[in-house]
Amino acid sequence: MPEGLIIERLRISHGADSRQGSATRIVSEMDLSVAPGEFVALVGTSGSGKTMTALSVLGLLPPRIHVESGSIRLGGTDLRAAGEAELNRVRGGRIGMLFQQPKRMFNPRKTVGNHLAEPLKLHRGLRGRSARMQALDLLAEAGFEDPAWCARAYPHQLSGGMAQRAMLAVAMAGRPELLLADEPTSALDKVLELQILELIGRQRHSHGLGVLYITHDLATVSAFADRVVVMKAGRVQESGPVRTVLDTPRTTCTKDLLRASALPAAPAPSAAPSRTVLDLHSVTKRFRSNRRSARPALEDVSLDFREGEILGILGQSGSGKSTLARLILGLETPESGSITRFPGTKDNRSGTSGTEVQLVFQEPHDVFDPRMKLRTSLEAPLQQRRDCTAEDRTARIDKVVREVELDPALLDRYPSQCSGGQLQRLTIARALLLEPAVLICDEATSALDAVTQRKVLDLLLRLHRDRQLSLIMISHDMNVIRYMSHRVAVLFQGALVEVAPTAEFFAHPQHGHSKELVAAALPVPQAARACQHVASTIRVPGARDLVSSPDPR
Amino acid sequence: MPFLARRAAALVAAVLLASFTVFLIPYVTPGDPVRKIIRSRVAGDVIDDSAVDALSLQLGLNDPLWTQYLRWLGRLSSGDMGLSYTSRTPVAEQVLPALWITLSLVVLALGAAAAISVALGVTAALQEGRPADKVITAVTQAFIALPEYWLAPLFVLVFALQLSVLPSAGWEGPPSAVLPVAVLALRPTSYFTSAVREGVLEALSAEHVAAARSRGLSHLQTVWKHVIPNGLLPLTTLVAVWFAGLLGGSVLVEVIFAIPGMGRLLFDGVLNSDIPLAQGAVVVVVGLAVLLTTAADLVHGLLNPQIRMSHA
Repeated sequence: MPEGLIIERLRISHGADSRQGSATRIVSEMDLSVAPGEFVALVGTSGSGKTMTALSVLGLLPPRIHVESGSIRLGGTDLRAAGEAELNRVRGGRIGMLFQQPKRMFNPRKTVGNHLAEPLKLHRGLRGRSARMQALDLLAEAGFEDPAWCARAYPHQLSGGMAQRAMLAVAMAGRPELLLADEPTSALDKVLELQILELIGRQRHSHGLGVLYITHDLATVSAFADRVVVMKAGRVQESGPVRTVLDTPRTTCTKDLLRASALPAAPAPSAAPSRTVLDLHSVTKRFRSNRRSARPALEDVSLDFREGEILGILGQSGSGKSTLARLILGLETPESGSITRFPGTKDNRSGTSGTEVQLVFQEPHDVFDPRMKLRTSLEAPLQQRRDCTAEDRTARIDKVVREVELDPALLDRYPSQCSGGQLQRLTIARALLLEPAVLICDEATSALDAVTQRKVLDLLLRLHRDRQLSLIMISHDMNVIRYMSHRVAVLFQGALVEVAPTAEFFAHPQHGHSKELVAAALPVPQAARACQHVASTIRVPGARDLVSSPDPR
Repeated sequence: MPFLARRAAALVAAVLLASFTVFLIPYVTPGDPVRKIIRSRVAGDVIDDSAVDALSLQLGLNDPLWTQYLRWLGRLSSGDMGLSYTSRTPVAEQVLPALWITLSLVVLALGAAAAISVALGVTAALQEGRPADKVITAVTQAFIALPEYWLAPLFVLVFALQLSVLPSAGWEGPPSAVLPVAVLALRPTSYFTSAVREGVLEALSAEHVAAARSRGLSHLQTVWKHVIPNGLLPLTTLVAVWFAGLLGGSVLVEVIFAIPGMGRLLFDGVLNSDIPLAQGAVVVVVGLAVLLTTAADLVHGLLNPQIRMSHA
């Protein structure tokens, strides 16, 4: 019986020389094992050392980061002692790897087939026709209905989910005994995430593949994993069988992760029917493009949004969610139909929305000018106002920064010196500076890890209560939508297919697409086993299906 | 293919605009072209006014500018560039051999520049921050600042006069090509080297390179298959742009080394107020330059699957 992957007392440091004491410890006293055929989830917030652990197994740590001590063995081979030639046989041959951003992991100038040919030649000595046949088999195993198309495709032709499945085919090409999956689904929506997990599960059962699955999402992975290892700040906090860890978490770290994963359902909708603040009537928007015939990004969307409401807008990537946000903000003009903001008030105008509607973006690191101190970035919107003196500005900024639970001292930093969670709070603070009545959060927490996400969501809920702020939550994450919203609107291929109160929507989704979305929203950990059943019934769409679906941009 | 059609339209527009500018040369240069023609045909300084009028009428110089332009364009398109004032032979007969010489000169120089810069740039990128990189970067940067009119005499001084290993002028046989090609190649080599270095460095930092390592490719295999091909792509456009630039930019080198190429022809035409000759030379050079720049765009598109497929 081979022993699989065994990591013992692993220490990874960053810095020139650990002996001089200048090195920073990234991973400390790490013990981890993956038996053949076992699925181990390595869970932790960002920066906890998960990725570095995986890279150290392959001997591919970035420059200046090195394994200080400990042992890494795979099926009896000491990987720390292995030479470069031996490691090259292990990489791709005995260990396959999946990455977080699959599209960036393909050489943009080579086809998927070219990528598959490399491990087939290196690790299995296959060339020419036999390699091509094997490549098609691998792509078919990865769920492509038209493997020949995929083999000829360039990375830019693949959607995110397709790219990850193609990457799985590449990772499996050398018939590895272990798969390292580094957050392979964090950038994908739930439906695609389940497809990938399901495919990995199949490989595991058919090839006895051991899986080390790195994630910050305890909920989804718990349906597939045998064991869970929870990491924080480079140390293992807790590990054990998935049921034990989920049912009786011992550490606060695990409890935080669990609490973040299992977002409870929404509070009951605020009773009193209030006035409408946004009224969309039969809005259609197309984007001209010489690539494809102008399929509307949004077609015939009618929606009313009331004061003090939290509206969740659900949809997969490319469904038109962001276009809707831009239309509401007045950054785009509808081709037909009308958008009325604050009907019956003086602010009723058809052009830009002024400052009453503000937007919080998805990627907090992209929102602030990297060369400006944060205070300067926050001052910018206030400088448009004549009535606001310099002292006023400072006072208002400090006040709103405290309101998002941050220390104003943080404002003297540059964006690169802050965490994603801090920056996202500052993005919200900047939006609040202009005293908006409506805040649109466009995937505002998707880039954050689960624990940080929960905290930011709770902040938004508090602001909603304290400021009577109306929120539009745009997300592909069912749990976020259910946790936050009073009403849910579902966008599917540019059309609004369903609008319903949250509880009703999750209990009885009407539209076919809604049903698929609800099924994919895992009510973990309570019903983890049920989800495994759901996952196995989900159809994996073939290449053709996904090609015809719209590109995100 | 709307992409190609758009490109072709832009090409035609650019050529027409350039040709019109060239056509205007005699009208903006000082002196009456008719008197220049007569002076080139008859001996003596005294020119009869009636002869001027007669020739103007005969050449159609009293017609509106547009008519004249179209007539000139019509002749040009059939290869008739007029008669040189100085040699009284058709300009086309002088342009063709000169074009051949200049093309050889430029192609040799660019070929040498590309070959050397790929070697240097890839080495520098792979050795980033180490002595080899620093030396290569420093030397190539220094050559960017050295102009041809300074380098050429220096090379002649050293290699032709002091060492007597190479001829100092002319265009007869390979040895005579060495110095002019070297002088012409130096600056593009410098630019190309830094472009290759940057391109390879960028390609090295791409995430898919790390992914390639995880498939079991060795560092060298990764560099060879994924880094260098991607890193050299910017060079293709750069070479084509420099091709166009050097066609006109070889004037200095051709004059200094007495090479009977297009640059020399242009120089003589301007110096002797030989307008048809200058016009012919400029039109050919500009036409080729526009053609090459368009070709560069197309090549760039062909090499990038994303651009290629979006227009297919």
